[in-house]
Amino acid sequence: MALALEGSQALARTVALCRPQVVAAYPITPQTHIVEGIAKLVADGKFNCEMVSVESEHSAASVALGAAAAGSRAYTASASQGILLMAEVLYDISGLRIPLVMTCANRALSGPLNIWNDQQDSMSMRDSGWIQLYCATNQEAVDTTVQAFRIAERCEIPVMVCVDGFTLTHTLEPLELPTAEQVDGFLPAYSFRHGLDPAEPRSLGTLVGPEHFSEVRHAHHQAMMRAQEEIEQADADWAAVVGRHCGGLVETRGDPEARLGILTLGSVLGTLEDAMDLDPELPRARFIKLRSYRPFPAEALRQACEGLDHLIVLERALSPGAGGIVGPEVQTAVIGMAEPPRVHNYAAGLGGRDLSLDLYSRIVQAVFGAERPREFAIIDADPALLPESDR
Amino acid sequence: MIQIPPGAFARPGTSLEFKTGTWRADRPVHQRRAAPCHSACPAGEDAQAYLAKVELGDMRGAWETVVAANPLPAITGRVCHHPCESACNRAYYDESITIHGVERFLGDEALRQGWSYPVPIPSAEAPRMAVVGSGPAGLAAAYHLLRGGCRVTLIEAMPAAGGTVRTAIPHYRLPPDVLEQELDHMLALPGLDFRLRTQLGRDVSLEELRADHEAVFLGPGRRKGREWSADFAVPGNLRTGLQLLEAWVAGGTLPEQPRSVAIVGGGNTAVDLARVLRREGVDQVHLISHQRVPAPGVPADDAMRATYREVSQALEEGVTIHEHRGVRRLILRGERVVGMELVHMKKLEDADGRLRRVAFEGTETVLHVDQVIPAIGQDVDGMGFESLVRRGYMEVEPWWGTVNGQSGIFSGGDARSDHGTVSEAVGDGRRAAAAMLRYRAGKQLEPGAAPEPIPYSDLNLSYFESAPASKEPVLPPEQRLGLEEIEGGLQANAVRHEAHRCLSCGDCLACDNCWTLCPDQSVLKTREVAADGSHYVFDYDFCKGCGICAHECPTGYIRMIPE
Repeated sequence: MALALEGSQALARTVALCRPQVVAAYPITPQTHIVEGIAKLVADGKFNCEMVSVESEHSAASVALGAAAAGSRAYTASASQGILLMAEVLYDISGLRIPLVMTCANRALSGPLNIWNDQQDSMSMRDSGWIQLYCATNQEAVDTTVQAFRIAERCEIPVMVCVDGFTLTHTLEPLELPTAEQVDGFLPAYSFRHGLDPAEPRSLGTLVGPEHFSEVRHAHHQAMMRAQEEIEQADADWAAVVGRHCGGLVETRGDPEARLGILTLGSVLGTLEDAMDLDPELPRARFIKLRSYRPFPAEALRQACEGLDHLIVLERALSPGAGGIVGPEVQTAVIGMAEPPRVHNYAAGLGGRDLSLDLYSRIVQAVFGAERPREFAIIDADPALLPESDR
Repeated sequence: MIQIPPGAFARPGTSLEFKTGTWRADRPVHQRRAAPCHSACPAGEDAQAYLAKVELGDMRGAWETVVAANPLPAITGRVCHHPCESACNRAYYDESITIHGVERFLGDEALRQGWSYPVPIPSAEAPRMAVVGSGPAGLAAAYHLLRGGCRVTLIEAMPAAGGTVRTAIPHYRLPPDVLEQELDHMLALPGLDFRLRTQLGRDVSLEELRADHEAVFLGPGRRKGREWSADFAVPGNLRTGLQLLEAWVAGGTLPEQPRSVAIVGGGNTAVDLARVLRREGVDQVHLISHQRVPAPGVPADDAMRATYREVSQALEEGVTIHEHRGVRRLILRGERVVGMELVHMKKLEDADGRLRRVAFEGTETVLHVDQVIPAIGQDVDGMGFESLVRRGYMEVEPWWGTVNGQSGIFSGGDARSDHGTVSEAVGDGRRAAAAMLRYRAGKQLEPGAAPEPIPYSDLNLSYFESAPASKEPVLPPEQRLGLEEIEGGLQANAVRHEAHRCLSCGDCLACDNCWTLCPDQSVLKTREVAADGSHYVFDYDFCKGCGICAHECPTGYIRMIPE
């Protein structure tokens, strides 16, 4: 039965269904409703877990790390500056190969202060060694959260589920929540091979000298690459339970015959699909939904791009001084194709700027007839608002 | 072959395989260093060691530590000029420890409680040693020979033991009951054959002593008055300062009652006599000295030989001191003195380039007095060993007391030209006893010296709090009329307070700083006292040599030495 639920409430209830024994979090917009929802479930006696109120995101991540290492399924959530404050611990969690799940309610980074949606925060943790899965809808956020626990625990790699702030977290959508039986059947009880156990003492986080550090990093990289199979498998297995796919690593939608592709991460996909559907006059496009940004599914991406002349990579983040963040990686991946598409890279929707239906025609027209890749641009920026020197 | 698990966790014991000690360039070591009080003590007492025992509440152990060097702490605690306190590092911080008060307390406590000296009973075959003279040097020599397992023959010409301590120290400084008790206590030691009224050269010869004993210690003191005149004039009623002082100490009276007296000399005899004369009602007591009052800062070679404490108390009691003065001539009426002409003395280089005092012409003044008493020192009375006396003194090797040119004969105490205090005499007797034991064992005598003291700059004072010293009660000058002891003793709580104030220079305080602050947990705490006397051992497998322990050691007990 479909429910009309705010994204955050849906996520809170989904987390409860996954039965983490410890939740530690510190409130930050736009993540707050998720943790409030969990806290209410705990307070109402509907969810039995140790809800730890901490004094900072650094502590939230630390508590979750310790709890998972000590044998509890653990969860945390944050956004924006909270992610940055967690950064030190996030690297520890992944480097120590602790299975954890966190939600990142994507929000711009300061300064200037901005509380609205873009994906700069999770992008800043690109190299932290976490698996990052981006959700296009609240339904995907629900289903991806359940899958994330299984992926994390099987791969012994933490998973960050990236959900666009406000656009998803604060929006009501009709969606299906899984039943407790479905989740319990999908997720076995938490068990961590390397968990701390007084009967078999071990020390996590010890010094690793130059003689072994490269091997540790190599192992982590290999585990991330292998995690691609697990991400695909989890999505397939979950689909067998609930009848819904989230798209594995990369999903292609739209017009499969189109010679123009548009690659997106997160919720902007819905806007673009609507724009194309509403106006039959517009050129057709193949949509490539990059769900797994880390591990980066280069091979799956090449398959998705087969037959394209142009590929527009549209992102909600920026690497000032370089341009896009995802674009260059996609470019690198498609170079391996026999006939690679021309890759055009744009950013849009930074700091919560609304992405309206005409975005589709703007980007399509921008690359029309291009012999070479277009120069990177923040396509919805209005240089007229800037002094001459900054345009 | 190592297998790295996901997350690179460590199994138990594996982190101990990182022997971080291999990174070390300097290693910390425990190094007990002498406290300045120890280095400065003429008798060789380790005050830091016994203060540490007092701090632990072990009064008897503290006394045993004292008598490991000096058998007479009740006496020296009263009469010693305590150079230990001048040297005390705490003086730079707030005030010196009142060490002499603690020493005196322990000496008195031993007499009150009847604690026995830790001295073995010698066997019948024990080596025999002879000691001549039962002053502090002879007593100390005899005592340390007994401690060393010898039998000792101690001969004394006088009818009672003690030497100068008995005959020339006024009772207000050393009450006779304390003297008697401590001497009796020591003289009762087994293995000691003590013979009074036995004069070397009259009742027994040096050759006889040498024949019957392995070695001989000579502690004759200085009892032969020197000839004194001023411009060849000698008054008819001339008596030396020592004669008068001994007469007063023995009988409590003086042969004459002058109104004004000039004492010539700057030693302890002169000062003691001056104070006695004041007590006997002499109105004007003048002290004429070539030197100056031995106040702090006055160079030793320009200071009166009397100790500062005695001189300052004499001044409090109304004695007039004429510094840098000499007697040019006496003014006589018949054979009686009616005055004297004084002259300023100044130091000039003589033909050999040495500084000598010469009269400063034109500075003559006249002082009217009824009596003049020379207290210019005495010479060794060499009866029975005349050939060993040189220019009135015994010439000895300064540390061990070996008499120059002699085999098996040792000497010390006042008989030396450079020593004149009870504690110096005790130290001489102690070291000579050690030399005699080595001599008998056929061992070489290496050159000796007092241990190098740890400087104040090697302490870390951050861990101490300022606390005023406990002072003994002192009789106000107007009440110092009779024989009553001027200085009282410290109470037990004050003694413990002083022990608590001790900075423990160069010795382990067991404060746990090194153990607490070591970032590598490489200081291990021991349940029992470790072999080096501390409560800690270093784990050199993991000590990186950072030096925090040494820096934070309050007492300078930990030193960093290069690997």
